[in-house]
Amino acid sequence: MTTASNPRSASGAISPRLQLASLSAPSVIFTVAMIAFPFGYTIWLSLQTFTATGMTRFAGADNYVRMISDEQFWNGLTITFYLYFLSLVLQLVFGTVLALLMFRAKKLPGIVRSLFISPFMMPPVVAGMMWLVILDPSLGAANYILTSFGLPPSNWLASPAFVVPTLALIDTWQWSPYVALIVLGGLQALPPSVYEAAEIDGASGWQVLWRITLPLLLPTLATATILRSVDLLRFFDLIYITTQGGPANASTTLNIYGFRMGFEFFQLGYASSLMVTLSIIVLGAVIVLNRVRNAVAW
Amino acid sequence: MASISMRSLVKTYGDFTVIPGLDLEIADHEFVVLVGPSGCGKSTLLRVLAGLERINGGDLYIGDDRVNDVPAARRDIAMVFQDYALYPHMTVRQNMAFALEMRGMDKAEIETRVKRAAGLLHIEDFLDRRPKALSGGQRQRVAMGRAIVRDPRVFLFDEPLSNLDAKLRAQVRAEIKALSQQLRTTMVFVTHDQVEAMTMADRIVIMKSGIIQQVGSPEDVYERPANLFVAGFIGSPAMNVLPVTVAGDRLVLSNARSVQIASLGSKRPAALIEGATVDLGIRPEHFEVAPDDPNAIAVTVDLVEPLGSDTLIHFKLAEINAIARVSPDLRPKPGDSLSLSPVPGKIHLFERETGEVIR
Repeated sequence: MTTASNPRSASGAISPRLQLASLSAPSVIFTVAMIAFPFGYTIWLSLQTFTATGMTRFAGADNYVRMISDEQFWNGLTITFYLYFLSLVLQLVFGTVLALLMFRAKKLPGIVRSLFISPFMMPPVVAGMMWLVILDPSLGAANYILTSFGLPPSNWLASPAFVVPTLALIDTWQWSPYVALIVLGGLQALPPSVYEAAEIDGASGWQVLWRITLPLLLPTLATATILRSVDLLRFFDLIYITTQGGPANASTTLNIYGFRMGFEFFQLGYASSLMVTLSIIVLGAVIVLNRVRNAVAW
Repeated sequence: MASISMRSLVKTYGDFTVIPGLDLEIADHEFVVLVGPSGCGKSTLLRVLAGLERINGGDLYIGDDRVNDVPAARRDIAMVFQDYALYPHMTVRQNMAFALEMRGMDKAEIETRVKRAAGLLHIEDFLDRRPKALSGGQRQRVAMGRAIVRDPRVFLFDEPLSNLDAKLRAQVRAEIKALSQQLRTTMVFVTHDQVEAMTMADRIVIMKSGIIQQVGSPEDVYERPANLFVAGFIGSPAMNVLPVTVAGDRLVLSNARSVQIASLGSKRPAALIEGATVDLGIRPEHFEVAPDDPNAIAVTVDLVEPLGSDTLIHFKLAEINAIARVSPDLRPKPGDSLSLSPVPGKIHLFERETGEVIR
């Protein structure tokens, strides 16, 4: 008989419990080392304050209490959500339109399709640098095009009013093709007979789009929303490369603010509490959106 | 309500011709079943009728209207799809109302029609459910309901029973038949199941490779098959086909001339000249056990399949496999000898070259 104390039976076979432990050990170790430990450590850091000598001292909820009265925190949170909603809406709209166009243009050559979807394969640093040049107020192509049409030039990333919409546009340029790919997959999975039924039922092209295609795409759009939400709420790289949160903190998202607190002002405890808060926001968004996805599933 | 007329109808896909030129008249109120093996063009023909496929030649009339270039939406037809094609994100009520909404029908009238159709199909309790919350049989009813509310000129059914289990299939089959008698609308039903065809149709159209093999009532195609294909396709188990040779007034097995299958009566067809070889067809149910008949064929039982209502006996006639359907009271065992005799007047003769029936 196999027992816990005797992992091998008389026939030499490994006990099921040991088999289970040995098979799951790599993933358990990986999860603890790569996810649970860093996250737990961040939570621990968020409950500490650093003394002048670099030592930590338990601060309880002080960092979280400080956050409530920190104007910069609320500014960061507002900008994070502004950028999130603006980018998400733009990416879902452009991604869906692009997917519908690619779906209709079935004979589009592969190279053209690849070009359409190539921006999201570009490293953010490259994309950021490229757009910095394009949007340069005096030398960039963007203002050249505006002025050549008789329109006034813009300060783009240098304007507190325009910086967030501009960042949203750059991110939309880069990630709409990714949304389009997801939506295209959803479109290709829709049952063709439903469209034939709609054709016989007398639905026009627009009616099919609004009453059949888009409602059927809702689960796919919800998946795309979840994937983009996680990225957009953690928006960092493009901002860091292009504006570093400026001008005048107009693009300082919570992520950027946390980074500056931690690595410019060395307030690691407070920075960690900001990141824990952001993580909770991301997690909450994922949970809510997942419920939405289940609700619209057909 | 409308008749359908197909005149020299051609359908091709690129270089591949699915229907090379088909003529068929379907009368008003008629229930016609298109039947044939996979790839025979029956579903393509239905899609052509629906307007989901354009024809490449010939003319198609629904009622007095030539509809060659009329889009599906304006043909006033309703179709029940093989996979039902219900709108999965809509409730049953919304599914049934959709086509009426597209026509801009008044809301009160839509509700009246939906309720009437739901009552007819006994789906009133499911009106606010989505398709995923329905069983296969319920979905099938909803698909029919969606067609019925439109009160179309023609109903088209594309193998709507193929996704149902055997018991439900028999039940729904009877319901569709009853519905057709109640609605008195022209119906075209596609199936590869000959039982469905036989039980539901006013007329059956048997197709092969896009060509109509025979059009007739279920009795016609069963009793008087036009060719070997129809003879083999209609009836289960399939008709036994034996090569026979004319020897005087007898038909003997070509490879065992001592075995007489039948004798030729006074109405001997002109094609049956002495020594001619033809195919003789006899259905399993048209063998009778005749121990006292001196001309009966003595066979050795290979296999017995008791079906309850009757028993299938497998045997060989000069190395050719054959089946006889006999009374369930008869319980022979493999290896037993049995004397079988064809029921007079129930044999069919076909030309060897063309497979056409010899009358």
